[in-house]
Amino acid sequence: MAAFGSFALLVALALAAYNLLAGALALRLLATGQPARISPERLADTARRAGIAGFAAITAAAFALAWAAFTNDFSITYILEHSNRALPAAYKFSALWSGQEGSLVLWAWLLGAYGFVLRLTHKTDVRLYAYAGAILAGIQVFFLAVLNFAAPPFALLKGVIPEDGNGLNPLLQYPEMVIHPPILYLGYVGFSVPFAFALGALMMRYPGEKWIKITRAWTMVTWLFLTCGVFLGMHWAYAVLGWGGYWGWDPVENASLMPWLTGTAFLHSVMMQEKKGMMKGWNVGLIFSTFLLTMLGTMLTRGGLVSSVHAFAESSIGNWFMAFMVMVAAVCIFTYILQRDHLRSEQQVESLVSRESSFLFNNLVLLAVCFVIVWGTLYPVLSEYIEGAKVTYDAAWYNRVFVPIGLFLIFLMGVGPLLPWRSTSFRSIRRNFVLPVIALWVAVIGCLLAGVRPWRDGAFDRGYFYALVAFGLAAGVLTAIGSEFWRGARVIARQSGRNYFWATFELIRRNTRRYGGYMVHIGVVIVAIGLAGSTFNRSVEKELALNDKLVIGPYTLQFVGPTQDTNANYDSEYAQLDVYRAGKNQLQMTPGKRVYLVSGQPQTMVAIHAIVAWDLYVVYEGVNPDTGQPIIKAFLNPLVSWIWGGALLMIIGTLVALTPKQWTVNSGQ
Amino acid sequence: MTETMGMIAGVLLLIALLAYTFWPENVFASQREKTRLEYLLERKEQLNENLRDLNFEFKAGKYPEEDFKAQRSQLENETARLMAEIEFLQRA
Repeated sequence: MAAFGSFALLVALALAAYNLLAGALALRLLATGQPARISPERLADTARRAGIAGFAAITAAAFALAWAAFTNDFSITYILEHSNRALPAAYKFSALWSGQEGSLVLWAWLLGAYGFVLRLTHKTDVRLYAYAGAILAGIQVFFLAVLNFAAPPFALLKGVIPEDGNGLNPLLQYPEMVIHPPILYLGYVGFSVPFAFALGALMMRYPGEKWIKITRAWTMVTWLFLTCGVFLGMHWAYAVLGWGGYWGWDPVENASLMPWLTGTAFLHSVMMQEKKGMMKGWNVGLIFSTFLLTMLGTMLTRGGLVSSVHAFAESSIGNWFMAFMVMVAAVCIFTYILQRDHLRSEQQVESLVSRESSFLFNNLVLLAVCFVIVWGTLYPVLSEYIEGAKVTYDAAWYNRVFVPIGLFLIFLMGVGPLLPWRSTSFRSIRRNFVLPVIALWVAVIGCLLAGVRPWRDGAFDRGYFYALVAFGLAAGVLTAIGSEFWRGARVIARQSGRNYFWATFELIRRNTRRYGGYMVHIGVVIVAIGLAGSTFNRSVEKELALNDKLVIGPYTLQFVGPTQDTNANYDSEYAQLDVYRAGKNQLQMTPGKRVYLVSGQPQTMVAIHAIVAWDLYVVYEGVNPDTGQPIIKAFLNPLVSWIWGGALLMIIGTLVALTPKQWTVNSGQ
Repeated sequence: MTETMGMIAGVLLLIALLAYTFWPENVFASQREKTRLEYLLERKEQLNENLRDLNFEFKAGKYPEEDFKAQRSQLENETARLMAEIEFLQRA
């Protein structure tokens, strides 16, 4: 299988290179009208077909790697290092992207799959798709060159082949890890498509903004995958790493957030271009940056540039990525300068208080956050290069910078939808903002009465202050968005004579993009409420003898004995804890520890009891060697479920926004 | 699978993919430029959508009447200019 896989990768590279060169030549011939021995359109079609054939070749290579994993072919170094005989089937599959070479195969395969769909639907706009297809082929050539020459996944082991493999990293032996990397990569890779369309549209001086409509679904699907990937990663960090948190500002976490931020900015500002013909240059810059940030993210994850709990590989392919990024940036800047007259805005922002300016501010804030994260992530590398010593920013630094900017972003999310396009009169502001401002102050007063007071024991508590502001803003923004739904539903209910529930459903159906977007905003606000809850986190650590108790918040945890288990893959030990609340035995929790037999590596198994108000999160930290008694650490983390609930609403909202809208003529809209 | 079998499978794959890529076809999609008229029709569709949005937001009570009238007249003027050019091009 190694020979077949290697050969398939080589064929894929040759086909991608043909797709790029023949595609570019055909487009050049068509643009200049030069006579040629072969029809340029025929040549372009063979280039398109080479792209489709290339996808088949990469699929064959990916299949060969999967086959090798499932048949325990330890003659292939990659399989030896990332799998073992006793590994369950699902994890054997996930071993395919647990290492550098395998994850690059996944990257190339996903890019091939996106390209396959793009090339099949080329009749939507043949010329534009030909440009986009050639650009995607250029990206594919890079990944396949890395796979063929720098990080070959089918490299054979020299010497005696061991009976068993080294096994999969224990951190990755968790159900979410089977789907998290592919979903995150679908997001990373997917941004190649809007990037290719934007660059192609700029190269060919595409008249009008239809390319945005064509790529809207691509961009939103990609954004959806990246959002799912980010939240799945957060949940994995929460449920597996056992430190009680979900976001540690780790470089690899940051790497997924950076393109998400610029992608979010692009999704907003592109509406200005579509509706008003504004911000053309800005949008092109945003999508170029987003693509480059996905490359940076992949380099950080796989290139060994920074150290991280998530970076499962260290290697020299970082240089390949760096060279590719420089090349892409050069092409983008050159094209931008060459075609800059094509990017002139058709209109200008008329007023600082308008929907246009709110989009602009929203973009600036998102970019500011992104810049902070890029700076913080790359600072260790820069400081080592310049000063010779690696300086790393801790989570407190990120929180100090990110929280106030994030709160301002939430504020803009509430203000934006209430502002009309072009300009706003004072009467309009008064009419639209009264209710949200009342809701904001009611929430602030309610929180102060409930004990969320920034001045505690005579000192200013910044965390409590931010939490108070977050809850107040959340109430204001939710009211603002709620009033948008209510006003729209009222019009439809009045016209149709139906009830408000039906009218709301009809409202969403008629303008899925806008109201789906509002649902995403509600989701973001709910996530923000959940994040603000971390201010009130508390934890207790205690060594427990049999029947000893540990008290945290309203819960009492009683240790009722240890238990052990074993299977072919790992040994495990658990602490059994009866959980009491208000004197009643509510449930039993069994936090544990596993030791994987092949690698000998331990892994914490956290026990979580989640309700709407908080999570009871219990970690078994092992046995005190002196006393033989288990050490238990319990956390009470308020509002964590809101984060996952908000994320779910963001996903639903995006799916709604992706549904084609249906205007009704007789509604008067 | 032995190395030889792997190579044979690889060569068969290569032949199939090359045949698919270079199979002589007489019909393929033409790559013509978008015309000015097509561009204007797209723009008209967008302006109509902007007008519908504005109308709906006014009915929902987001705009005072004078703001609504001012914005509607701007959009209608823009649409009228566009329509004039579309008619001219269609006649031509």
